[in-house]
Amino acid sequence: MTLPSTALSIAGLRKSFGSNEVLRGIDLVAKDGDVISLIGASGSGKSTLLRCIPMLEIPDAGTVSVGEDSLSPTGGRLSRAQLAVARQMRGHLGFVFQNFNLWPHRTVLQNVIEAPLFVQNRPRAEAVDEATALLEKVGLSEKRDAWPAHLSGGQQQRVAIARALAQRPRAILFDEPTSALDPELVGEVLKVIRALAAEGRTMLIVTHEMGFAREVSSQVVFLHQGLIEEAGTPGQVFGNPASERCRAFLSGHFDRNR
Amino acid sequence: MQADLTLLGFGPDGWGLALARAGLMTLYVSVAAFLSGLAFGTLIAWARVAGNWPLRKLAEAYATVFRGVPDILVIYLFYFGGRQVVTAIGTALGLSGPFDISGFLAGVLAIGLVSAANQSEVLRGAYQAVPRGTIEAGRVVGMTRLVLFRRVIAPQALVTAIPGMGNQWQSVIKESALVSVTGLVETMRQVAVAAGTTQEHFLFYAAGAIIYLIITTLSDHVFRLAERRSLRGHEQGGI
Amino acid sequence: MDFAFLSGMLTQLLKGLPLTLNLGMLALAGGFGLSLILNLMRTTRVGNALASAYVFAFRGTPLLIQIFMIYYGLASFGFIRHGFLWPFLREPYWCGLLALILNDAAYTSEILRGGLRAVPRGAVEAARVSGMTRLTVMRRITLPIAVRQALPAYSNEVISILKSTALVSTITLMEVTGIARAAVSETWRAVEIFLCAAAIYLALSLLVTQLSAWAERRLSPWQFGETP
Ligand SMILES: Nc1ncnc2c1ncn2[C@@H]1O[C@H](COP(=O)(O)OP(=O)(O)OP(=O)(O)O)[C@@H](O)[C@H]1O
Ligand SMILES: [Mg+2]
Repeated sequence: MTLPSTALSIAGLRKSFGSNEVLRGIDLVAKDGDVISLIGASGSGKSTLLRCIPMLEIPDAGTVSVGEDSLSPTGGRLSRAQLAVARQMRGHLGFVFQNFNLWPHRTVLQNVIEAPLFVQNRPRAEAVDEATALLEKVGLSEKRDAWPAHLSGGQQQRVAIARALAQRPRAILFDEPTSALDPELVGEVLKVIRALAAEGRTMLIVTHEMGFAREVSSQVVFLHQGLIEEAGTPGQVFGNPASERCRAFLSGHFDRNR
Repeated sequence: MQADLTLLGFGPDGWGLALARAGLMTLYVSVAAFLSGLAFGTLIAWARVAGNWPLRKLAEAYATVFRGVPDILVIYLFYFGGRQVVTAIGTALGLSGPFDISGFLAGVLAIGLVSAANQSEVLRGAYQAVPRGTIEAGRVVGMTRLVLFRRVIAPQALVTAIPGMGNQWQSVIKESALVSVTGLVETMRQVAVAAGTTQEHFLFYAAGAIIYLIITTLSDHVFRLAERRSLRGHEQGGI
Repeated sequence: MDFAFLSGMLTQLLKGLPLTLNLGMLALAGGFGLSLILNLMRTTRVGNALASAYVFAFRGTPLLIQIFMIYYGLASFGFIRHGFLWPFLREPYWCGLLALILNDAAYTSEILRGGLRAVPRGAVEAARVSGMTRLTVMRRITLPIAVRQALPAYSNEVISILKSTALVSTITLMEVTGIARAAVSETWRAVEIFLCAAAIYLALSLLVTQLSAWAERRLSPWQFGETP
């Protein structure tokens, strides 16, 4: 049996907004098949970390690698050559936003085939076939010709997941995929993500759903004030955290959820 | 071109005084046209939201027609057409000509009626933007229609209407330049005369443009101030 | 009523329609191109200041004075009278068209800017994160959404420019209004003639309104609950 290789790695990542140091040196590695949950208090930098991977925010220092591609931007900007690499990296990632961010002027199917057609230049028939299969997988085949505005939040988020999968990504990044949803719609989205985990997809998930994180993750990472304060298997982090802050955060969270 | 700037001054061969007077005339025409547009536009807007079927259709037709025809044609129609009508009536009455009508009156009426169509659109939009819930809230506490309008609808609609009305005022100022075709000496007419007399075309048209810019910019500030005022009141009232 | 006179007049006025349409369409095309450039300029600070000044000047003054400034005013400059553009700038047609283009660009650029501002940030982010180049994001996501947002305001601008073409009659061009003016000074039947001319413009703007309603339904079906 061959060891899984590194899908995604982050080293020494730093990012400030003005004088606000949001990330202060983050190291993280995801092997193929890993499901990593990122947890932490509001404002601890989870979204910023996730957005730094496809260079939606450009880090001040550190290295981000996805598969073969690797970038070490300096000074918070990308050169022309680096931008080309960043685009290549983006092509190998899927990103699922908290607010879905579907393209309002394209139907469900068109949303899913947009990048395959206009970024990866794949043949239309192939892209449509694959998109149809993906929509089936997220349970929305009958909505393929609907407009995003006519879908519920949960349905929109499932389309967004299908759109991310259509990239044939090496890893998928989720930024609080269920936080914008009504409670009764959370389940249908988590079910889809759970199925992806079972398939062995590589995923990085920012979430406040602790029960879910515990269940699907191979690794849980607790972020505090821009640093990784605690990391380990769900059993370790949830059962017996070494860090006092992590313990406090978790007990607060579970109390609130009960 | 060696622009002789003393031409714009207030000296013996300067046109400064004439230009200032013309600028005031532009303001005068615009205010008169805007106010008549406001009065008539309110009526049209009211007919469109509250009138019965024929009244509503009539008001809609009015807005469509006056928004679809060039302003300059409306001015021509009122000025030259008005003269034609007055002459016909005068001749029929056995009076001796020549008959004429005031360019000021024809211009103000024409621009006012065009502006009324546009203003009715703004006012109607503002009325429709008033949240239905606040009107219902007024109804359930037993307000009469008049009180409801005065205390609930008008204050809210006015706030939404201010920016749109500001735009209408701006376009009235610019349309007032068209009244120059009747020979009324407002800014446009005055700079054309001065340019023709002195052969300093660029200088005088530039001066004219600056007069309009001053008027539009100053009044823009006034409307912005009004908007901020009304928003402030709105917030206080809202809490 | 003198129907023979009216129908004869209508036929005569319609001879000016091609010029009216020619000026209107070219002004819209030129104005749209220029407004794109103005919005591109807004990405830099100096460009933004220039674009703002341009919009300020052209929206703050009457079109009539802009037309006169170009037709009479530019000739005050020796370098223009002796320049290579003079064969154009001495012609009322080109001066009128130029004024209409410059004027339309100022209004259209603001309409477009409003449309661009209405594009959801998240939609653009989702496009960038899928690996699209800046040009593809512009072409596939930003512009389509912006144009559709701006369509109602733009259709008003189309009507407004068609009406504005009437002003070039003041510099001797014989489009619909120019012909009407000439006919009035011959016959003195101002009411009938100007009403005929008004009817032509009214028909044009009704046509534009219909077209834009149709285009709106076609281009933004997601707002009208239709499924392709
Ligand atoms: N574009 C930005 N400009 C300035 N400051 C920002 C920006 N984005 C994030 N921040 C700041 O960075 C800090 C971390 O924000 P981030 O969104 O990463 O937190 P988070 O852990 O995702 O929080 P939450 O759980 O609320 O989503 C916050 O203090 C936030 O105000
Ligand atoms: Mg976040």
